[in-house]
Amino acid sequence: MKTVVRRLSGHLARGLAMIWVVTTLSFVIIRNIPGDPVRGQYEKLIEQGMSPDQAERSTAALYGFLPTGSLWDQYTDYLNGLLHGDLGQSLSTPGTGVATLIGSAAKWTILPVLGGTLLSFLLGVTLGVYAAIKRSGKLGDALAISGSLLHGIPQYVIGLLVVAVFSTLWPILPAGGPVDIEFTPGFNGPYIASLIQHATLPVLTYALASYGGWILAMKSSVATVLGDDFIMAAELRGMSRGILFRYIARNAILPLFTILALSLGLLFGGAIFIESIFNYPGLGLLLVNSIGARDYALMGGTFLVLTVAIVVANIAADLLYAVIDPRVRKGAEA
Amino acid sequence: MTVTSPVAPAPLSMRRNFWRGVGRVLRRKPSRMAGVAIVVLFVFMGVFGPLLYPNPLPRDDNALYASPSWAHPFGTDFEGTDVLALVVTGTRYVLLAGLATAVITVALGTLIGLLAGFHRGRWDTVLMRLTDLQLTIPGLPLLLVLSTVWKFTSPIEMGVVLGLLGWGGIARAVRSQSLSLRERGFIEAAKGLGLPTRHIVVRELLPSMAPYIAMNMLIAVTGAIYAQVGLFFLGVLPFDANNWGVMLNLSVFGGGALSSTAALPYLLAPLLAILLLTLGIVLVVDAMDEIFNPRLREE
Repeated sequence: MKTVVRRLSGHLARGLAMIWVVTTLSFVIIRNIPGDPVRGQYEKLIEQGMSPDQAERSTAALYGFLPTGSLWDQYTDYLNGLLHGDLGQSLSTPGTGVATLIGSAAKWTILPVLGGTLLSFLLGVTLGVYAAIKRSGKLGDALAISGSLLHGIPQYVIGLLVVAVFSTLWPILPAGGPVDIEFTPGFNGPYIASLIQHATLPVLTYALASYGGWILAMKSSVATVLGDDFIMAAELRGMSRGILFRYIARNAILPLFTILALSLGLLFGGAIFIESIFNYPGLGLLLVNSIGARDYALMGGTFLVLTVAIVVANIAADLLYAVIDPRVRKGAEA
Repeated sequence: MTVTSPVAPAPLSMRRNFWRGVGRVLRRKPSRMAGVAIVVLFVFMGVFGPLLYPNPLPRDDNALYASPSWAHPFGTDFEGTDVLALVVTGTRYVLLAGLATAVITVALGTLIGLLAGFHRGRWDTVLMRLTDLQLTIPGLPLLLVLSTVWKFTSPIEMGVVLGLLGWGGIARAVRSQSLSLRERGFIEAAKGLGLPTRHIVVRELLPSMAPYIAMNMLIAVTGAIYAQVGLFFLGVLPFDANNWGVMLNLSVFGGGALSSTAALPYLLAPLLAILLLTLGIVLVVDAMDEIFNPRLREE
């Protein structure tokens, strides 16, 4: 138990250091944008007849940091705001907090990412076992090659091809937006059907884009386990194929759970391309649009949230590994 | 003279054997030949492509979004410019940026990995923390955020930024390689002979890692190509030069290639170029893997 706590605190410290680096980076970048948008807003407000005090407060509320004062004051004020959960106000959607916008965008990212990743994980792991066992056969070879090729193709190419095939050339599924606007949102049949219809292609793209990685990882993991002594011992004892398969799969899948947790964190960043292609209003599209609209508070906030997702995924991956691998667990208890 | 003459032919024949091995590996699977041919073709397009066409490219106002024909194998774009010409002339930016990225990634990654793995101790801890940080900061979002202050006008600039954001993987791999190599007999022998550290690292360690680094470099080229084409595709960078990402952006968000079939060839041509280049590089890496890893070689 003690070691687990020590491990966790180490991870937390590193995660916090990382979040600090990213916030500092956003601060430096936003302060260095040509034209200095923060100062510009402040001066615009003064020209409109506000007192310097009022203008300063209003600008600070908008961007999350002060337009005047020394850089150090601005920096500490910015960090202080973040510590109180204040990400600033959005410029492109006036009157809305950045945190609210991010919260409403997150659900459009999380569900398709989860669906696509789990789908490709199950498919890739199953086929990966097969590709490893039959690795000198034709089918095993074909599976491995399909894995390397899909793994090598960038997400946006897969996404664009999926849209070109299933939406343009052979229009069977919609490719724009998360839902048809004519349905009233809520728990009713047509609305949910439309949601699922619109989610199919993005989920398919996530699945195709990560399937190759899974099949390759599982194949190499199974190949390592196959060389272990206990497999040969089991074979010599004449164990049935079913039991043998369970022996192999249970041991080979362990490292993949860690990758699964990590890739969920990374996929939030990867959602940028897929959401842009499908015009899906998730976190990735929010980031791209905030840059297009020069909405820097929103940009910094989204970047921060994407980083936090990765830090959390890292910690989760490490803890998960300790929980599911008896060797690590026993080692920690001893 | 008499001392050196028996030694001199050895590297020569080794080199000849090496090329013979390369020939054999390529011949055994014709797909690898195809891979090399594809990569050579793209390099040719990158070097000579812009010379083959007049600058600026001719426009034909009577043939906007023309469908594929003999004159325009991939049709024309929204201004009536030949799409094939756009792809060919756009290759240079894409490849140059990819190459610049790969050089910086490999140089930084190898240097940091070697320093950490060979010296171990405090250096190792600090450098690996740095590497972890580099690997965990989400690269693409960071690039997007950076694009607000940096305009990436030249391909070299683009390559420098991508390289600075991408060395972590190679650093970690090189470190683990040098950790295992430094325990081997030949390194111990070199240390026992009292050879300077520089000699050991440059003459003994690096050559045994060179193939591995070269393969990582090719993979870094593909990664860099995807990243920069992706950035232009998202439209967060100003369009100064013509390249594949700009074509993708204009066809999807400007030309509506995803809603009408007329602009589809304009979208598919750069996609095809990316896929073909990926295929070529994957096949070449496969061949290199077998050339440099004798255990994979089936005699």
